[in-house]
Amino acid sequence: MTETYLAQPDLGFIAQMRGLGGDTLKKCYQCATCSVACPIAPENSPFPRKEMIAASWGLKDRLLGSADIWLCHNCGDCTDMCPRGAAPGDVMAAVRAAAITEYAQPKALAKAVNDPKKLPWLLGIPAVWFAVLAYITMAHEDVMTKLFNVFGIAWSHAHEGAEHVIAQADFFSTWFVDLTFVPLAGAVVVIFFLSLSRFVGDIHENAVQEGKTDKKNIDVKAFFQALGRVIPLILKHNRFNECGTNQERATPHMMVLFSFIGLAIVTGIFFIVLYVFQTPGPYSQLNPVKWLANIAGVALVIGSGIMIKSRLDNKDQITTYKDWYILGVVFSVGLTGMLTEMARLAHLEWITYGFYYLHLIAIFNLFAFLPFSKMAHLVYRTTAMAYAEYGNRK
Amino acid sequence: MTTDNSAPVSGSIMVVGGGISGLTTALEAAEVGYEVFLIEKEASLGGRVSQLKHYFPKLCPPTCGLEINYRRIKDNKNIKVFTMSEVQNVAGTPGDYTVTVKTAPRYVNENCTACGECAKVCETEISNEFNFGMDRRKAAYLPHNMAFPMRYIMDPSMGTDDRDKVKQACKYDAIDFDMEEKTIDLKVGAVVWNTGWQPYDATRIDNLGFGRYQNIITNMMLERMASLNGPTQGKIARPSDDKAPGTIAFAQCAGSRDENHLPYCSYICCMASLKHATYLREQYPDAKIYIYYIDLRAPGLKYEKFYAKLKEDENIFFIKGKVAEVSEEESTGNIDLVAEDTITGEKIRQTVDLLVLATGMQPTAAVDKPAADLTFDADGFIINDFSKGGMFAAGCANKPADVVTSNQNATGMALKAIQTLVRR
Repeated sequence: MTETYLAQPDLGFIAQMRGLGGDTLKKCYQCATCSVACPIAPENSPFPRKEMIAASWGLKDRLLGSADIWLCHNCGDCTDMCPRGAAPGDVMAAVRAAAITEYAQPKALAKAVNDPKKLPWLLGIPAVWFAVLAYITMAHEDVMTKLFNVFGIAWSHAHEGAEHVIAQADFFSTWFVDLTFVPLAGAVVVIFFLSLSRFVGDIHENAVQEGKTDKKNIDVKAFFQALGRVIPLILKHNRFNECGTNQERATPHMMVLFSFIGLAIVTGIFFIVLYVFQTPGPYSQLNPVKWLANIAGVALVIGSGIMIKSRLDNKDQITTYKDWYILGVVFSVGLTGMLTEMARLAHLEWITYGFYYLHLIAIFNLFAFLPFSKMAHLVYRTTAMAYAEYGNRK
Repeated sequence: MTTDNSAPVSGSIMVVGGGISGLTTALEAAEVGYEVFLIEKEASLGGRVSQLKHYFPKLCPPTCGLEINYRRIKDNKNIKVFTMSEVQNVAGTPGDYTVTVKTAPRYVNENCTACGECAKVCETEISNEFNFGMDRRKAAYLPHNMAFPMRYIMDPSMGTDDRDKVKQACKYDAIDFDMEEKTIDLKVGAVVWNTGWQPYDATRIDNLGFGRYQNIITNMMLERMASLNGPTQGKIARPSDDKAPGTIAFAQCAGSRDENHLPYCSYICCMASLKHATYLREQYPDAKIYIYYIDLRAPGLKYEKFYAKLKEDENIFFIKGKVAEVSEEESTGNIDLVAEDTITGEKIRQTVDLLVLATGMQPTAAVDKPAADLTFDADGFIINDFSKGGMFAAGCANKPADVVTSNQNATGMALKAIQTLVRR
């Protein structure tokens, strides 16, 4: 009890929280209604009351390196019941946004993703890149064919045949698609690996310090076993369904998550079909993989559409740029994808290409900035939940 | 000063509300020679203080202070008391107001000796609001045993049969069902609003279960239970089974300092709960008492000492953390409460026999807005506009306060009222 603790407030961090939608944090007077209102907070060291005082005192390290901020699913029950309008749910969301920026490298890119003034760059760079590659695809097919022949690889993935079909590959080479996105995906994996190795160390240290775990160190095998137990819970959205106020979010979120899983499967299968079986698209609408693609695409548009609408309707919840950015990207990916397909089926060649171009830019934003945008919650929350399971946080 | 000294001046002062601060304003003004009209909407003077078992600062029973004031009123020909009366309208300017006062019929005249024969024969029963509906009373009733005026009242809900019976039973010809509502205009120079407070409606605090679970009561209900003239003749018992409670929890700030309810601190609820702990300790020497609070407010040296003394009791526990969730054990009627102890960071789930909600004060003016040109703050408290003058607010109509502060304030406003008359 007599141990002295000198708080080292980080004023810049407090200002950062406020900018990220946590501008109410100073209203908190620590009544702890939120910790009780929260349907998913554990019994020992429940959140978000302790996060509120840490945010208010600018104790950056305690917050960003805590798994608890990720256990929160932004149900909104705490914000609803808060007697002061301090909106703990929004503060937690702001802390998470700061945590993503903190763990992501390179920092400059992380900052750019969360800065609306940089949006023209985030859109402009892929726009120019894809425009150049599209130009090469269409204007210099012969050069590329010769170039690829040097390595003994066929350039064209376009349909060879009598009847002319509209194929995106005629506008933008599938080689370019994959030469853009495969290395990008690799970079994303590396960035996440680096971020997570720091993140897991930090959340463990924090949990040991605050008595939130019974584990002394991290046993990798047991950790992955915990991850295995957590993933079905995530897929079933168990935590979301425990929410009160924002419970209706569970359905659209589930739609978006499952449509991404569906689209990942589709992409994987067609990648193999293209490169292993050498069969280029477009594929028949009767193909079951195509059904999955279509269902997932529609679910993505509807799910993210509902999310946008409920954000617009909900005046109690603060929505900042970080939220709009990712919702916009996800919705655009789904919408431009579906429009590309519809235009193609309607035999509108140049409109197809136009939508496809936009689709590529949207996907680039989704993938390239995954470790820096709110989308990174996918990785951090899963990791934090796995850690909580591993560390017996009940 | 450039005021128009020629304006007509009425030498009278009106005091609206006959609780402890209204009595003070009225007496202070009357005792220096001014005519005072004291308007009370209930059938008896005394207000909230008369509902308490003990009141601060000295933990006297309410008779203690009220009796003296009633004596002073009886001895002072300057005070005209209007019970069962409400202000309908205030017209005019400082120094020259015309106040319309409506008086509801009591159906009992001055002949009443409070002998109680009417109540014996009356069969109709009504909810006893003096005890917050915890018991019932006859439709022919005395407001309470310290009523002023000490006179019965016939509730209008009484049927014809009962009306005949009570009339017959009355030996003094005091019952008169022909009485009608009366409206009169009174000329006064100044008005002091001492309209007081009412307990915040605890049924509105969703998460604290009041009204759903029997063994959750409010602090004012506890006062009534603890009072000898209350529904249980002073015994604090569980409403569900009349059992003596062994563990009692207090939820401080129930609906107070809360944007969704009363956004302000009611000043006295902390002290009230500490006082309630003394009631419980007196009756139950071994009872365990848990006080869940956000911050404890014990303003001033006397209150601080009172708090310090209670902290010596090893069966009174103070837990920093607001009660935010309650439920009922169906078989026992016990209350399960949940809070976070913010000192240890542990969630607490506790089962108690009785949960007392320390609800705050809501100004009566917030619920029943006076028909007068007054300035209110966002919560319904009357703001004193001294530059405008003429009308003032004292006691809990002006801010949440204890009796001492209310009386100081009430005395000050008596002077302000007098100045309004004299300066003109």
